[in-house]
Amino acid sequence: MLTLLRLSMRQLGGKRRVALILLLSILPIALAVVVSIAEGEDESFDSDFINILLDGLMVGGILPIVTMAVATAAFGNELEDQTLSYIVLKPIPRWHIALSKLLASVIITGPLIIASGAIAAWIGMGADPRISAAVGLALFAGVTTYSSIFSWAGLMTTRALAFAIVYVFLWEGLISSFINGVDYLSVRGYTLAIMHGIDKDGLGELSERVIEFPAAVGGAVAVSVVFFYLTVRRLRNMDVP
Amino acid sequence: MTMPADSVIDVADVSKWYGSVVAVNEVSFQVNPGITALLGPNGAGKTTMLHLIAGLAKCSDGQITTLGEPVRNNPSLYQRVSFMPEQESVYGFYTGRQLVEFSAKLYGLSPLAEAVDRAIQIVGMEDAQNRTMDGYSRGMRQRMRLAAAIVHDPQVMILDEPLNGTDPRQRIEFQKVMERLASQGRTILISSHILEEVETMAGRILLMVSGKLAASGDFRAIRAKLDEQAYQVRIVVDQPRRMASAIVALDDVDSVSFDDDGSIVVLSRKVATIQTTLPRMAQENGIRLTRMEPIDESLESLFEYIVER
Repeated sequence: MLTLLRLSMRQLGGKRRVALILLLSILPIALAVVVSIAEGEDESFDSDFINILLDGLMVGGILPIVTMAVATAAFGNELEDQTLSYIVLKPIPRWHIALSKLLASVIITGPLIIASGAIAAWIGMGADPRISAAVGLALFAGVTTYSSIFSWAGLMTTRALAFAIVYVFLWEGLISSFINGVDYLSVRGYTLAIMHGIDKDGLGELSERVIEFPAAVGGAVAVSVVFFYLTVRRLRNMDVP
Repeated sequence: MTMPADSVIDVADVSKWYGSVVAVNEVSFQVNPGITALLGPNGAGKTTMLHLIAGLAKCSDGQITTLGEPVRNNPSLYQRVSFMPEQESVYGFYTGRQLVEFSAKLYGLSPLAEAVDRAIQIVGMEDAQNRTMDGYSRGMRQRMRLAAAIVHDPQVMILDEPLNGTDPRQRIEFQKVMERLASQGRTILISSHILEEVETMAGRILLMVSGKLAASGDFRAIRAKLDEQAYQVRIVVDQPRRMASAIVALDDVDSVSFDDDGSIVVLSRKVATIQTTLPRMAQENGIRLTRMEPIDESLESLFEYIVER
């Protein structure tokens, strides 16, 4: 499986894609530096920081954008280049193929996104290691869950990016703000709830709008597993071009 | 249809359709050790058929077995089978050797280097093995892809248009490699839309037209039927008028005409003779022959002619 993982990382780790991830990862850190200098004494600073920078920008924007750019390409590029036949006709189980693509997506997006969120939180929220750890762990859960969904989408349709955009911005961004309970079926909802669940004191601002911590962890795990299974099943049933 | 007990690939009443489009229609045949060519014009369903045999696509109806086993989702079977797809896209960032190593690793071969060296040697790419796949000519890329496909020493090889992009010299080399592999007891199924590409190496042909198996059997018998029809060959030379004058004088030629792009179109009922005569004639007259190819439409009409019979 290491061979497939290396291949997948090389395919996904193109210069332009990595440059985009780097650029987007630097953004929250740069903003955290700027706003912490400008509004250092403001009492509402922490809540604004959590609402705007952590929730709005990081969890609601950069996390899904970066993950969709990488994970939809995990199988999408293979289908577009018609190179998938080189790996599906080898004597290896389908779940090895699916897992290598998922891991490659997580390895390429995870470290930069997690570091970005944790460092931004460190700068913006008083150098509290517990908050940084909560943000980092929650982002890891978010990256893994999104990667599982978007890898599957890349295998299902040539319009995986469109699917991802609709899911993230329509379902998670718009609909979840109007309909209660959507957060139970939302990666953004899981990510914020895990963040809050790990450090309820530091991230208390989120307490009014997050689901229960166990539900969030269970949801993230279940969604990741279900979409991983669907990916393996699709690999078994599909006609490979 | 009764299947021979020892057939390596058994295709039984197989159909494949995509929505309302029927790509393969109730096709049955068996393939035994040696080289078998799957012929047919573009769009005949050859690639779909090979994808079904390789296990890449699912039959809408019927069944296929290779070495007695089902071909879909059967990783243990893939250890004994190889498939070389038509599309040339490969992992361009790999060197040729890395591509073969990659394939060898996925087959779980050990010792790795020995198998890789052997495969690269078979296709004669030792000197260029460390260049990237993107840096190869089309023919070299085809050979390295073949090396990656045979690195695990498969019993059954399914090759989709492997001669695409190869020049005449590479074609001869490729034929030698195929003949050597077949002589060692392997079963090789090779597709082409150009009859002459596989004429010299395939002992048996399967002829597909419009998704159906139009004819199968001994190559010479089918060839003889084809030879009864006039056949068009396009040639490109550096002195077209001089070449055309020389061609007109040949007994086996029915007509000679020029295309708008300056290429010469030769119509003949003795296409095999033409294929050997024209290059020799060009050489003797100091004319540079840069291309010689059958014209698809003509080939298609020949295939249809066979079907009608």
